Amino acid sequence: MEFAVDTHGLAKSYKRVNALQPLNLQVPKNSIFGFLGPNGAGKTTTIKLLLGLIRPTSGSADIFGLDMARNSVAIRARIGYLPQDPRFYEHMTARQVLDYTAHFYFKGPAGEIAKRISETLDLVGLADKADRPIKGFSGGERQRLGIAQAQVNYPDLLILDEPAASLDPMGRRDVLEVMELLRKYTTIFYCTHILDDVQRVSDAVAILNHGELVAHGPIEELLAAGEGLAYEVTLEGEADMAYQRTVSQPWVSGIKASPRNGSTHWIVNVTDEEAAKAQLLRLLLADQALVVTDFHRKEHQLEDVFVRIVEGGQHGSGQ
Amino acid sequence: MAVGNSAMILETGVGWTRGLKNALRAEFARWFRTRMWWIQILIWAAVVNGISLIVILSSPAAVREEGAMFFNIFLGIAGPIGVSIIMQDVLAGERHAGTAAWVLSKPVSRAAFVVSKLVANAVGVAVTMVLAQGVIGYLIMTFLAHLELSLAGFAAALGAHLVNLLFYLTVTLMLGAIFEARAAVIGIPLAFIFFQQWLPGLWAPLAKVIPYTLAVPLGNDNASSIAIALMTGLQPQTYLPLISALVASVLFVAVALWAFQRQEL
Repeated sequence: MEFAVDTHGLAKSYKRVNALQPLNLQVPKNSIFGFLGPNGAGKTTTIKLLLGLIRPTSGSADIFGLDMARNSVAIRARIGYLPQDPRFYEHMTARQVLDYTAHFYFKGPAGEIAKRISETLDLVGLADKADRPIKGFSGGERQRLGIAQAQVNYPDLLILDEPAASLDPMGRRDVLEVMELLRKYTTIFYCTHILDDVQRVSDAVAILNHGELVAHGPIEELLAAGEGLAYEVTLEGEADMAYQRTVSQPWVSGIKASPRNGSTHWIVNVTDEEAAKAQLLRLLLADQALVVTDFHRKEHQLEDVFVRIVEGGQHGSGQ
Repeated sequence: MAVGNSAMILETGVGWTRGLKNALRAEFARWFRTRMWWIQILIWAAVVNGISLIVILSSPAAVREEGAMFFNIFLGIAGPIGVSIIMQDVLAGERHAGTAAWVLSKPVSRAAFVVSKLVANAVGVAVTMVLAQGVIGYLIMTFLAHLELSLAGFAAALGAHLVNLLFYLTVTLMLGAIFEARAAVIGIPLAFIFFQQWLPGLWAPLAKVIPYTLAVPLGNDNASSIAIALMTGLQPQTYLPLISALVASVLFVAVALWAFQRQEL
């Protein structure tokens, strides 16, 4: 497998604080790679290291096979970057920001550059505000401009630090659509706190906690390594007998029961999928005093996996 | 490029000049395609020529040459303060604002980033604070004060002012590349502007090298100021401050380039 980013013990410390512990991370080419972690986990530090904005304390990184330290300018020529809090020169208009950005990558022709800028403004929905000074832009508009300038150069690697921050739900949807659109052509490496988005569009994820890589791998593997197979059940009526009968089944490993709006909610963890499929609902329906109002296989959410890993301090890798 | 438009011509350099042309274009646009240039001209016209004009109009005809002295003193003291204020935003301000990190995430060398700031601001200062004020000052002194000033001498005096301002421009640039704290970036040049006049009292030879005497006389001796001497047809006591300010400016730029290369953004 070819990697867009391949780090080897990449680490950064400030005085006595380890902002990033030796990081070995591989980002496959043409993937959408979610880079997750709580605030202060080291995500932005990693991005800044990859961009050459800060220098590593130890370790190295290859981007498209080029050494980060020795080929920083050549690497940046192939990257588009959206900072967490995009800041631009306030006296410029959106079009001028894109023109300024584009001229770091392209010499000309002027007409083609202008065309590319217009396309990019259209893509992020800023065409009607293109010639206004960005001083008056809202947070969402700045974010859209940030996304526009990050991909005006047709980057091979798009690094997005919180791309959906400051965006309304429509804007967030648009960003995900742009990412889906670009995945054919580029590798997208992005940090976010919106785990629903990660689950929806990412191929692989890495989770950092306290500067340490605690999980890393394809998203399906990470989800599958979660709580195991489980069913969610909502019941009305006296559930004690049904509970005893169910929990005693050899293929049931545990039941988490909790009250919910006058009903009883169970998460039934099972060890044998076939047995559970064939027998669990029958067992519950056999009790005449019970009404089953909801029954479905539990979908694992990345958020659950994330919280479990981060709060539980779990270390390991999905790979 | 992932889905690059084949009609586009790529920038390909990787040396220190990568991005310089574009960065210079943007920096010059900031000075001359916004209101900045004429606002600076107006401010310095009021500070330097406005006050000189008041002095000239309120002085008896016999002492109107004091107008030339005031022009040089105001430009020699207020000018460096203005330059330091402008330049504190250049590297230190951009690091704080996050715009330096944004620009340097693009394929542009750090040296090109610093050089673009240096060149564009030096030209901006030269045009708005020296050239424009010189033209206004020359007209005032010639037609209102009726002073007979040599155009060549006047131009040479403006050259001395330019070197003086360049000294403060480069020192503030250097401090911006070294220090995180803006207080240090602006505080050190301001302190130097005001306290350097006492340095010769501590060690007399310093009078021959401090930039102060490029524009402002020590005591009442007009010939001790290179700019006043050149403007009024006197022989300057020494040209050493001119040389030391230029050498210091080159050193400041070298340190700025070295320090900014190591800055974490």
